Amino acid sequence: MLTRLIPVSLALALLQVALRFKDDVDLARRLRGRDAGAMRELYDRYGRLVYSLILRIVRNSAAAEDLVQETFLRVWNRMQAFDQERGALGPWVLAVARNRAIDYLRSADAKISAGALELDRLEHPGQFSDFEDRALSLDRARRLKDAFEKLTPNQKTVVELAYYEGLSQTEMAERMQQPLGTVKTWVRSALKTLREQLSEAAAV
Amino acid sequence: MTCEDLRDSYELYSLGLLEGEEKREIEAHLGRHCLVCERNLKDALGVNAMLLSQVPEVVAPSRLRRRVMASVGIERAGWAWVAALAAACAIVVALWLSLEKRAADRELADARRTLQQSVVERDRLEQAFTFLNQPETRQVNFGQGQPAPPRGNFFFNPRLGVLLIASNLPALPAGKTYEMWVIPKGGTPRPAGLFQSGQQGTAMHILTGALDPHMTFAVTVEPDSGSQAPTSDILFSAGL
Repeated sequence: MLTRLIPVSLALALLQVALRFKDDVDLARRLRGRDAGAMRELYDRYGRLVYSLILRIVRNSAAAEDLVQETFLRVWNRMQAFDQERGALGPWVLAVARNRAIDYLRSADAKISAGALELDRLEHPGQFSDFEDRALSLDRARRLKDAFEKLTPNQKTVVELAYYEGLSQTEMAERMQQPLGTVKTWVRSALKTLREQLSEAAAV
Repeated sequence: MTCEDLRDSYELYSLGLLEGEEKREIEAHLGRHCLVCERNLKDALGVNAMLLSQVPEVVAPSRLRRRVMASVGIERAGWAWVAALAAACAIVVALWLSLEKRAADRELADARRTLQQSVVERDRLEQAFTFLNQPETRQVNFGQGQPAPPRGNFFFNPRLGVLLIASNLPALPAGKTYEMWVIPKGGTPRPAGLFQSGQQGTAMHILTGALDPHMTFAVTVEPDSGSQAPTSDILFSAGL
């Protein structure tokens, strides 16, 4: 049922991702200035990725379109709180998109409650400033992809459940019918592997 | 817990998925502006972005861009409705112009018809004056002294023909018309043209062409298409 997180992809896509993230300072400045052209550029730069991410999560094209609209509207409305000099526009847009989609899934499961507020707080634009340039480099993107491919199936599954289905470790344990401790070990080891690969790339 | 104890929890925390003690600990560290935890959280957000951005890309519907722009007030929602409205307006204008043109054409045709009738009427009057002005024209009246029959005159000119001016003509039923006849002495009536009376029961009719002076002129009521021989009684007649 679960699909692979990273299908056969694409050095080119990674290059695009890295370049997209690095070239956002001027765009952010214009967005804060309510420049309509900048909004079009933002959509042209991230619209396809945002739609793909949201569709991957909600698996419903009509809902995905609604959520893409909500994502960009939220970014536009909260732009004044974004640090135009040191903020990371791409990671913020993706976080908003992911959280909108996860919130939609939770709403569909009647699990709104405190979760929505927490997602709202975690995607505050102020969280996405002071990123190191190297954090979003092409080399790190490639290394992350390679590292993910090397994860065990259970590790890949728990990463997918966290990023694309918004399940907590307790919910993962229920879904996978595994002890909570085992799931926590898979999650911790998977994220540690990914993080270490990125750290090595950063140190090079 | 130390920052190192929490090292593997920042990604889940930033995704809103961390629970229990670990979540409370991270929030406590961040609450007191723990620089290590703040740095680790930024790193975790970077990892998240890198992972999320590697989702297989699919093409978004083209309408979505317009919709997004409309939602932030940059473009009007769906230029399609504007195009549809413009098209509808164009159709209405075209229809209106078409109706206007048809009305104008109709008015023009009416005017031409009126003008044509006026020209015909003028020609007939000129013809009548010509009859009346000719010295050889002879006048024969009919209906004189009778209470309410048609009355009038035949003006005969052997070279030009005969002019009939009548009044008190009865209104005709639908599908009927007046027909004039020339009747040679001892001969059978010959058709001499159809005519209608005006609203006041008056009429003028001209038969052009040379005629034998010994003729009788008569009028009957006939079907609209006319007859080759009288089919009703003579309404009035006069002879030279």
